[in-house]
Amino acid sequence: MSGPIISLTGVTKHYGSFQALQPTDLDIQSGEFFSLLGPSGCGKTTLLRTIAGFETPSGGVVRIDGADMAGVPPNRRPTNLVFQSYAIFPHLSVAENVGFGLRRSTQSKAEKAAAVEEALGMVGLEGYGPRPTHAMSGGQRQRVALARALILKPKVLLLDEPLSALDKKLREQMQGELRRLQRQVGITFILVTHDQEEALIMSDRIAVMFEGQIAQLATPEALYRQPDTRQVADFIGVMNFLPAQFVDGSAEIAGLGRVDLPDNEDGSGVVGLRPETLQVLYDGADAPARIAEGDVVEVTYYGDMTYYDVRFDGADKPVTISMKNLAGRAVLERGARARVGWDPRALVVFRD
Amino acid sequence: MQDDTRRGLLLVSPPAIYALLMLAAPMAAVLLFSFWSQDFLTIDRTFTTKNYVEAVSDPLYRALLIRSVAIALAVTVVTVALAYPVAYFVSFHVHPSRKSLWIFLITIPFWTSYLIRVFLWKVILGFNGVLNSSLLGLGVINEPLTFILYNQNAVVITLAHAFAPFAILPIFVALERIDRSLLEASQDLGESRFRTFLRVTLPLSVPGLVAAVLIVFIPTIGDYVTPRLVGGPNGLMIANMIQTQFLKLNNAPLGAALAVVAMASVTVISLLFIWLNRRNLRARR
Amino acid sequence: MKGGGLRLYALIYLLFLYAPIILLPLFAFNSSSIIAFPLQGFTTEWFAELTGVEALHGALKNSLFVAVITAVFSTCLGMFAARAGVMHQFPGKGPIMGLIMLPLVLPEVIVAVSLLVVAINVLGIGLSLWTIIAAHTLICMPFSIAILNSAFQNLDASLEEAAVDLGESRWSSFRLVTLPLVMPGIIASTLIAFTISLDEFIIAFFLTGGEPTLPVYIWSLLRFPQRVPVVMALGTLLVAVSILLLTIAEFYRRRGVRRSGQQDHGGFL
Repeated sequence: MSGPIISLTGVTKHYGSFQALQPTDLDIQSGEFFSLLGPSGCGKTTLLRTIAGFETPSGGVVRIDGADMAGVPPNRRPTNLVFQSYAIFPHLSVAENVGFGLRRSTQSKAEKAAAVEEALGMVGLEGYGPRPTHAMSGGQRQRVALARALILKPKVLLLDEPLSALDKKLREQMQGELRRLQRQVGITFILVTHDQEEALIMSDRIAVMFEGQIAQLATPEALYRQPDTRQVADFIGVMNFLPAQFVDGSAEIAGLGRVDLPDNEDGSGVVGLRPETLQVLYDGADAPARIAEGDVVEVTYYGDMTYYDVRFDGADKPVTISMKNLAGRAVLERGARARVGWDPRALVVFRD
Repeated sequence: MQDDTRRGLLLVSPPAIYALLMLAAPMAAVLLFSFWSQDFLTIDRTFTTKNYVEAVSDPLYRALLIRSVAIALAVTVVTVALAYPVAYFVSFHVHPSRKSLWIFLITIPFWTSYLIRVFLWKVILGFNGVLNSSLLGLGVINEPLTFILYNQNAVVITLAHAFAPFAILPIFVALERIDRSLLEASQDLGESRFRTFLRVTLPLSVPGLVAAVLIVFIPTIGDYVTPRLVGGPNGLMIANMIQTQFLKLNNAPLGAALAVVAMASVTVISLLFIWLNRRNLRARR
Repeated sequence: MKGGGLRLYALIYLLFLYAPIILLPLFAFNSSSIIAFPLQGFTTEWFAELTGVEALHGALKNSLFVAVITAVFSTCLGMFAARAGVMHQFPGKGPIMGLIMLPLVLPEVIVAVSLLVVAINVLGIGLSLWTIIAAHTLICMPFSIAILNSAFQNLDASLEEAAVDLGESRWSSFRLVTLPLVMPGIIASTLIAFTISLDEFIIAFFLTGGEPTLPVYIWSLLRFPQRVPVVMALGTLLVAVSILLLTIAEFYRRRGVRRSGQQDHGGFL
């Protein structure tokens, strides 16, 4: 096993005085499904386009498979890109689009045709070759773009928000197919997305970016359970934040009371709790680790779930609690009193 | 410098250099020229404002200039007023699939020989012309109308015809950009269709109107064919005099001065118009 | 019917626009040498007379020469400007594009006078067909840019990048992807510029040396009443050619719009 397939060292990018990318170090392993996640304008697309060669970094080194990419144009890089708009050539048929990159190869016509058909098969578009592209749906165009990029057998496939233009159902279907495809071809996929759920579902590892730098790089689970910063915690899923004072190895949390937190220096900060780690207690529930009481200030019914906003006694702001609507479980009404169970093990500490 | 910036500048430079060499530099030359003088064929390069003094003080030139501006204004008002309903009709009452056909039909006459079109207006408006003979034949009038040829009316009619698509297209584009739900919102809020037009459609089409006014008004001042063919002695305009100075009287510096004065006049009036329009818009807000 | 009054008005307006063009062939085939109603009889005599005029053939040749070269120059320069304007950002973009588009609103006599002064008094190169070509290229360029702008605007900027990503060089990406997609615009621009140049009189009259273009020649004929029917015949042919070229141009423009899968908004400008 050799080194990482993609290796960035101190890569920066600025447009005039605007710093699009702070100095960034990043290693991506071969065969990994890697996501760059962040709000728009965070530099994730700039980073992707720098790897593809469409942006020249202002500083630093980009290595692909060990080779320095400085001065190597996009057409000579072992990467291929699926564009956000798909960039399907409107004047060419499906097969001509997919076979576009084979123009310079020395294969015979028959070999090329076979390669095109194989690539189309890979994305479930067998037999679509002769069709024009303008009549195709968004999902089909997406598949053509994938086949067109994969036919060149790149070492890394780059995907620039490929699913953002699809409706919810189709998006979920394509998320599954992309994962299956990645396992099948076994190459590195780098996905740019602003959808945290999409990144969690699909990735082996995720780099969360804010304002031109990577805030945290971790597996989906680590990112969700142990976010490094409040910003990351806030961006990934829903997180309740409660102000806290840390004194003598324990924390005084607004509305939840005192809890032992060894290895913590004195000071102030906040603690975070995910909605699903809180639990509205009904009669007969198992005794939880800790209990707090408060008023239900808002009830949002989702069908499978109910979200309660509960303001604990002694707290300023309510916290959100998600509860499964199990058989026989009543939905509380707004204004009701609630007893809420929680577990100190679920606390995430953010110090000021 | 960024790749994109460098490539953009590189690409734009051939046409930009062409425009600089063939337009900006020559116009600067005309300006320079207007401060020289000419005695038959020799050019005297000493700086003088005598051409401008002559251009402004000679009653003939002054009359031509004032008349030209007046005719250009009249042409602009007539052209835009006649064009607006057509643009409105095509934008709001023509089925989307047929809009481009209408626009095509409206632009066709514009692309056909200007000279011959103007000449035919002379035929149409003349004493024995198409209009008079038709009206006489129909018994609408008893003797030929004489107020429609060889005067300023003829010039206005002919130029209103020539500039029609220039007026219709910008207004049409502005009307097309109006979100149709705004009109429904206005009617939903209790306005009649006519009041909706006044309070929503018309204000939103102002950018198109401004473009139409400028694109008709400015070039009109430079026409010498229409005044010569249908204008008669009282319909001549400043461009005719510029042409005469350059091509017949061999007094290019005076011609240049007249051109500069004419250009300056339309520019000032146009800027005034834009300024008034902006102030009006700001006052509304 | 909704808009009934407006429709009537629009139709009358169209009649107003087309009046000269409708009358033109009537007089061209009218046997009377006086251009007036009522019409006399049918004749093709004026068309026959066209074939025998030596000066006309010269003028036609000059005009074609000027129009072809103008169309090519104007479209090439327009390609540069449209691509730069639509696909790139650069400092001074507004003023630069403004200067290039300026001839669209500039009185033609100003363009004519400026180039006349430069050709005669500054450079002293005298007048020729090339001075007309220089001026016509200048005034056709904004029209070419307007047409090509919409062609480039319909183009997804990532298409060319996709081609580069798939292994093509910048130039071959342009040739394989961009060029075929903007080709309808190029054809439309060429035809429009050709038509404008072919019909242009105001500037050509100032800048013509010893070799008149067709409109300049027509102008000289208009002074002789007995030659006017011949002008009508010539005009009929010119208008027919113009309409034919414009229809082809419109066909290609629409095809370009369709090809890129865009909504058609109509019109050249």
